[in-house]
Amino acid sequence: MKPGTRLKSAACDTEVMVIRAADGQIECGGSPMGEAKPAEAAPLAADFSAGTLMGKRYVDADGKYELLCVKPGKGSLSVDGTALVVKDAKPLPASD
Amino acid sequence: MSLPTDAAPGPAIPLARWTQRQLDAMGTAHGVTFPDGATLMGERGSNGGYVIAGRTSAGLGGSRLMPTRDGGWFALTLIRDVDRELLPALFGEADVDGDDWNAIAAAVLRHDCADLVATGRTLGLPVASADETPASPPTEVLLRGERRERPAGHRPLVVDLSAIWAGPLAGHLLWQTGMEVVKVESPTRPDLIRRDDPATFDRINQGKASLLVDFARDAEKAALVALIRRADVVIESSRPRALRHLGIDAEALVREVPGLVWLSVTGHGACGEAANWVGIGNDCGVAGGLSRAMADLTGEIGYVGDAIADPLTGITAAREGLAAYRSGAAQRIGLSMSAITARALAEERAHDRAEIDAELRAWGSSVGGPFPYAAPRPLHAEVRPIGADTARYLGEPAQC
Repeated sequence: MKPGTRLKSAACDTEVMVIRAADGQIECGGSPMGEAKPAEAAPLAADFSAGTLMGKRYVDADGKYELLCVKPGKGSLSVDGTALVVKDAKPLPASD
Repeated sequence: MSLPTDAAPGPAIPLARWTQRQLDAMGTAHGVTFPDGATLMGERGSNGGYVIAGRTSAGLGGSRLMPTRDGGWFALTLIRDVDRELLPALFGEADVDGDDWNAIAAAVLRHDCADLVATGRTLGLPVASADETPASPPTEVLLRGERRERPAGHRPLVVDLSAIWAGPLAGHLLWQTGMEVVKVESPTRPDLIRRDDPATFDRINQGKASLLVDFARDAEKAALVALIRRADVVIESSRPRALRHLGIDAEALVREVPGLVWLSVTGHGACGEAANWVGIGNDCGVAGGLSRAMADLTGEIGYVGDAIADPLTGITAAREGLAAYRSGAAQRIGLSMSAITARALAEERAHDRAEIDAELRAWGSSVGGPFPYAAPRPLHAEVRPIGADTARYLGEPAQC
């Protein structure tokens, strides 16, 4: 997956921008994400329904994947079924 | 660094006369004599011995102007390591070396300017085009609340949640009118110029009380909100979601606290999509059209002044804040650094086109030379150690 690719959730409103990725399947709400939204929404899996937060960066434990949430939604992010976690906050304000 | 007596005078900072007119008007309206405009715009560069560096921003050089494939000029500020990690996504190239400005410039040249600006803003990077039109008005009243009648002799309380330069400068000017100003920092996110540029920090934060609030602790957040509820003015420079995350709901507070003036200092506007964009003094100066104006006159593009949108915005925020406070009506005012720069340039051109053009030419032909010298301002009050006044304003921290 190329950095800068924008992916949409099949199960909720979430959209992410890929910062770093390997060959695994990126999912939201338990369903694969894609560059286009499917005609029919996928169901939101209970295990992946914690929600995404605008502007947060999500990473895996190995540092192979990093996704930036550019539109929030009800689903939560995973790769091949393993949940991603929020990366630490930025150390500076937005404007100075 | 040379001694003051040896310092070359350097070119005048463009727009210093505009800031002087703002300060004079504000001083007349409120019976105060403020420091002069050239000093407020130039004291950081002068304190730091900055060199005018053309397409590289002065000082730490964190911002660069680079040509794009379609003939535009793209400004990118990289002062946070976490932002460098986003460069592969900005360029759609996995192997861009974010620590190498030559590699970054080569990648910029492979893209069109508008695409880089759009993607950069989605990513939360401080970016600008030399040819953009600011997305928001310079200042706008976003919300009005109830009026508050204040007794004669009331000393207003200002809670300053902002950092670096624009917001703290606004707080400094309010302090000079006699207001009580409380600067709030968090242990995980202190104001970095306290460490990086103490001479400037001391000048714009002298006389302010210093509070440390740990936003991970609910009791401390609640105590800060209680302080804001008895304040007259709040200054902040966070994106909306960051503020909400800290447990501070600006709109609700302005609705509920009569007379509360809330100043939201932003890069490109406080509402709509632009509220999520990041903007810093140098790139906002580019977005406000100053670099293009200089290039049109000299044929060479470059940064004008030092983070010029910061002092322009700090002075504007103080002026708006004082007028709003005097009106008595609660209101939230959004300030856009890029649009304030564009307005200052337009007003200065209307005031004296020949003079601002001559100043921009002189600035452009001074690349490689020193920043104009500004005599260091003597301090008139103590600079409080970080957190020294927390207990006095927020009470003793609760035991847990």
